[in-house]
Amino acid sequence: MLMVTQAGDFPRLLPGARMPAQIRLPARRKGRRKARRCRELRGTAAALLLRLSPCGGRRQRPFWRLRGWAVAKGLRGTSGGGGGWGTTSQRYTNVIQPSAFKSNTWGGSRDHGRGFFGSSGSSPRNADFSQNRFSALMNSQNIADGYKDEEERLLESVVKDMEIWKSSGQWIFSCYSPTKEKPNISGFHDISPEELRLEYFNCRANNTVQNYVNSVQQLVKQWKNRLVQLKSSNASTKAALLSELKNTVSQPLPSFGFGGQQTSSFGSSNFPVNSSSNSASNFSFKISSSLVSASSGNTPAFGSSSAGCNPAFGVTSSPSVSHSVGFGSLVAPSAGSFSLKASETTNGFGTSAFSGFGSSAAVNTSSTTPLTNVGASNVAVAASPSHSSSTVFGQTASASGHNITSASSAVTSNATSGKLFTPMSELSAEELKQFEAKKFTMGKIPLKPPPLELLQI
Amino acid sequence: MSLFGSTSGFGTGGTSMFGSTTADNHNPMKDIEVTSPPDDSISCLAFSPPTLPGNFLIAGSWANDVRCWEVQDNGQTIPKAQQMHTGPVLDGCWSDDGSKVFTASCDKTAKMWDLNSNQAIQIAQHDAPVKTIHWIKAPNYSCVMTGSWDKTLKFWDTRSPTPMMTLQLPERCYCADVVHPMAAVATAERGLIVYQLENQPSEFRRIESPLKHQHRCVAIFKDKVNKPTGFALGSIEGRVAIHYINPPNPAKDNFTFKCHRSNGTNTSAPQDIYAVNGIAFHPVHGTLATVGSDGRFSFWDKDARTKLKTSEQLDQPISACCFNHNGNIFAYASSYDWSKGHEFYNPQKKNYIFLRNAAEELKPRNKK
Repeated sequence: MLMVTQAGDFPRLLPGARMPAQIRLPARRKGRRKARRCRELRGTAAALLLRLSPCGGRRQRPFWRLRGWAVAKGLRGTSGGGGGWGTTSQRYTNVIQPSAFKSNTWGGSRDHGRGFFGSSGSSPRNADFSQNRFSALMNSQNIADGYKDEEERLLESVVKDMEIWKSSGQWIFSCYSPTKEKPNISGFHDISPEELRLEYFNCRANNTVQNYVNSVQQLVKQWKNRLVQLKSSNASTKAALLSELKNTVSQPLPSFGFGGQQTSSFGSSNFPVNSSSNSASNFSFKISSSLVSASSGNTPAFGSSSAGCNPAFGVTSSPSVSHSVGFGSLVAPSAGSFSLKASETTNGFGTSAFSGFGSSAAVNTSSTTPLTNVGASNVAVAASPSHSSSTVFGQTASASGHNITSASSAVTSNATSGKLFTPMSELSAEELKQFEAKKFTMGKIPLKPPPLELLQI
Repeated sequence: MSLFGSTSGFGTGGTSMFGSTTADNHNPMKDIEVTSPPDDSISCLAFSPPTLPGNFLIAGSWANDVRCWEVQDNGQTIPKAQQMHTGPVLDGCWSDDGSKVFTASCDKTAKMWDLNSNQAIQIAQHDAPVKTIHWIKAPNYSCVMTGSWDKTLKFWDTRSPTPMMTLQLPERCYCADVVHPMAAVATAERGLIVYQLENQPSEFRRIESPLKHQHRCVAIFKDKVNKPTGFALGSIEGRVAIHYINPPNPAKDNFTFKCHRSNGTNTSAPQDIYAVNGIAFHPVHGTLATVGSDGRFSFWDKDARTKLKTSEQLDQPISACCFNHNGNIFAYASSYDWSKGHEFYNPQKKNYIFLRNAAEELKPRNKK
């Protein structure tokens, strides 16, 4: 029975409970029926529930949908000659030029197009919600499917992004990550235009421009290979990609780092250089052979050129260990650094209907700091990958993807499917706060059922 | 408005304005050309602070030099002085009193240029090219902050060869901005760190990048009471993220928008996507300007989340931009930014710096 004790209380819709007849929503209905349903529900308790749901009904629209703006017209002035602004722009100046693509052609899944970068900030989760708001509450099966969907979406978005990257002519020597909470995908590393240009200037000064050209060609080839690899629907690639995205083990950067400081004639002795270049003799464009599918002959080819083209990038190429530490600190909150959003290492998203978890508690590994303060705003968090402690998550398809609140507490399951109450110990501080508050805060409603201790019957 | 006088009298003393040349599209916006521009790509532009009467512009370039012009109210630009590094200059900034200019270069040093005496001395040393340089003026200290590709952020008292402080970065520093007491640094591999500068610089927060690709430029913006409250971050993928440090509702307040893309109409033809080379906030209106590899600049209102204007397309990428201290002048540099590699590099092609009256065009969309 649906009970609402006070306005704003989370209606006690427990998993397995049946909804009252008048608001039984069939799963996955779209369109007008749903709209009609919504209208019918207005004023009922369930409507309250709807409004409380993280996506807040349909009110948050991505900003490019404001004011009925549908399509980007060319903002370039077609009225040629004058040095002023194109007159056609006048009509559209009230809206930031939106994506020219409908969401299904740009960026993969629909949520990507609309949710990820939109001001609504809602994540890919949003679409899921709009389809079946109660999935998280009602049916654990849906959740498992939801995870699969998340993975699919991620993969799709990666594929789409690769296509766009290829065709757009944008700078190719760039890292890439499919969504903001994810680590960078391996195989793509940052080289800024300035670094490349400096390399060219140095080579030009040493008369080794051909080396530069060859190196760039190599890099381009590697990029293309990686791109094609990611675009393909190769099962092993997909699996590798997914595991990469879930593990927050940051890829060790190849000893690529633009040469070292072999001939640093600038009196660097003053300065504590913590990672002096080991690869001093390697030319800057060496890419770790693990990334190069085809050619493995990188190293020797470039090693010889180090004499000629004095790599003046000067970026100390730290050994990969320190790189991953450094990089990892961006991704995973390690001691001393903390990220604003819940990082990927949070795991154990408790949702009420989880079943079949391994009985081991404390999924959090040592590197995870439960980000209790951050969880609140993270309705938008997309799939946060579960930690690789597969013992706990082994049973479920993937624990990622359902991170509505970035609850990082472990979920210990009972053997029975579905839990009625969450033990207090399993709630994150944020969830606890929500349950203890008089009203739920939009976007922060915990998905776990409330703890027994807090129920006032 | 009367800054540059009427339309007729833009004496530029030297090169004349290209009024109506044939197919020349180097100045489609008909803006004022700065005289004696650098001989190679311009990497940075900076106007003098309000403490200096008048407007002085410095520009660093890949020709290893940094040049200084006086910009007069009638639009005339007078070259004043020049200093050299032994490598391309990547960044430059002014001290708060307008007497010194700091420059950062690929020669791994940073120099302090005293404009009165026209002498420049080295004040910083890194192990790799210095990519960013900013002057920090705090109530209890002043220093120069340099960010380098050697993955460190160093703070220098200009009188000492050793840094006051060194902070480790996760990756090479790509861009930075300082608005006291906040500093934002974006690094390679999508790193993003905010520092607080009160008492002494310390890391405040590491932020997960809101963008998917390489960071290219960052600019801090202020709130209505003139306190730094967030930053705009641009990437190579034609996108800018607006990020508030402590917003009431991060999911709603932070957002990204696409820019500097070709007219991808509603056809399925792929868009061309260009890098955002620079972002600058108007000091008075709080609106922002972005310049891109596509050779256009755009003005945006981040609060109304709308685009204000987009320029015509120049025949070269726009590599740098800045506003003067009161927001009347918008300067942008037209030069090759290496976005298409060495094949498109033409050392003979002339580089330009243009000045535009920015007082009116950057007014926010909705007057609050």
